[in-house]
Amino acid sequence: MAILPHRSYPLSDRTLLNDPSLQSTWSHRAWVTSGCATVLISLAKSIAGAAYSHIWLEPILAGLIGYVLADLGSGVYHWGIDNYGDASTPIFGSQIEAFQGHHKWPWTITRRQFANNLHGLGSAVALTVLPIDLICNDPILHGFVGVCSGCIMFSQQFHAWAHGTKSRLPPLVVALQDAGILVSRSQHAAHHRPPYNNNYCIVSGVWNEFLDEQKVFEALEMMIFFNLGVRPRSWSEPNSEWTEEAERPPQFQRTTPLI
Amino acid sequence: MASLFLPMHSLPTVLPTQTPKTPSNSKNLSIFPTQSSHSQFFGLKLSCASLSIPSSTSSVKSSIFAKVNKGGVPPQFTLKDQDGRNVTLSKFKGKPVVVYFYPADETPGCTKQACAFRDSYEKFKKAGAEVVGISGDDPSSHKAFAQKYRLPFTLLSDEGNKVRKEWGVPADLFGTLPGRQTYVLDKKGVVQLIYNNQFQPEKHIDETLKLLQSL
Repeated sequence: MAILPHRSYPLSDRTLLNDPSLQSTWSHRAWVTSGCATVLISLAKSIAGAAYSHIWLEPILAGLIGYVLADLGSGVYHWGIDNYGDASTPIFGSQIEAFQGHHKWPWTITRRQFANNLHGLGSAVALTVLPIDLICNDPILHGFVGVCSGCIMFSQQFHAWAHGTKSRLPPLVVALQDAGILVSRSQHAAHHRPPYNNNYCIVSGVWNEFLDEQKVFEALEMMIFFNLGVRPRSWSEPNSEWTEEAERPPQFQRTTPLI
Repeated sequence: MASLFLPMHSLPTVLPTQTPKTPSNSKNLSIFPTQSSHSQFFGLKLSCASLSIPSSTSSVKSSIFAKVNKGGVPPQFTLKDQDGRNVTLSKFKGKPVVVYFYPADETPGCTKQACAFRDSYEKFKKAGAEVVGISGDDPSSHKAFAQKYRLPFTLLSDEGNKVRKEWGVPADLFGTLPGRQTYVLDKKGVVQLIYNNQFQPEKHIDETLKLLQSL
């Protein structure tokens, strides 16, 4: 997961383009490469196994299910991280802080280098998928795992694209966003407006309408509140934790609308 | 305590006035049988589908378990309001009263509901009705909540949820969440409407006003 700097000096004092915290390190690249490798191995095993067994429909369907569930998983994880815990929470603390920082400075994600942006998910995927690659050979399972883990790993890239401007994105990405295959810029923009409690999914966004209309997260929040006594952050008045900083460095003054 | 174990599906049949509302409330999840379930949440419909008890049996069940029915007179209570004063239900006899049970102060749904009652309060007054909100929070919580949102009506502290249980307000989400149920009592103290909807709190105002205007 993208880690934001712990420094607290105003954004305009930083020269974002040269900010080392947004650049990729060799460690970042190693994790992203490992994650990609495990995903590609899983997909390769699926294709090879499907060819050997002469089955195509089941692995493809499994992949489709993986793509759909990756979106749901991204939403649940995002909701949890956005609403609960803080920087001191074990394991998740740095990600929680990063997500809060993202809400304050959402455009920063578009300035992160590729591996810097994805290395957190890359490491999680590498560690999770490697054992599956080693132990399992079933092409249908690998169809699901390969696509699901690939979408989860690249969700941070889809997220970055959702913060992009139409004129600056590759036409293919814009087409995929408009087709609903990748999360759209408008859908994700809604997540960055008060009350910050909707549109949590960031792979395709296909689950967002359902989850929001059915008040699934609100119900989960109520259950957690009544059973554990913990209030989610989104119940509080928008405060400095959520509110986007108005100040932007001159080189990032917008000349075109966000959407 | 029975109300907390009450499967959600059985309650609707206690509330005949709710059934016609179901089609407009149920705008989703057509894969689940809606069977007079008027609560919007996906989870409730899931419980309805999984239990799949036909309405005739559930109406028998509901007459055993639900404590306050339409046409009945609810049990009296004395609870403290947001200023710490004791308030009895009998105080409101002689005029219609809307008694709404809600999960807790300072939660999103309950805030929306309280503010909706506040914003329509003049209409309730015009109908000669009083509005009373009840939750398990203590008087100081009610006072802060009422002050923050400028609520002009009474909030009562049902600490321990005794009255909620006595009236048989059903819990939601497999018993994990206090239900959101509103009763409209006429001038004689007889229940004329029971409306339950956890996740569309503003609808409580529409439904109760509609009924009051016909009383």
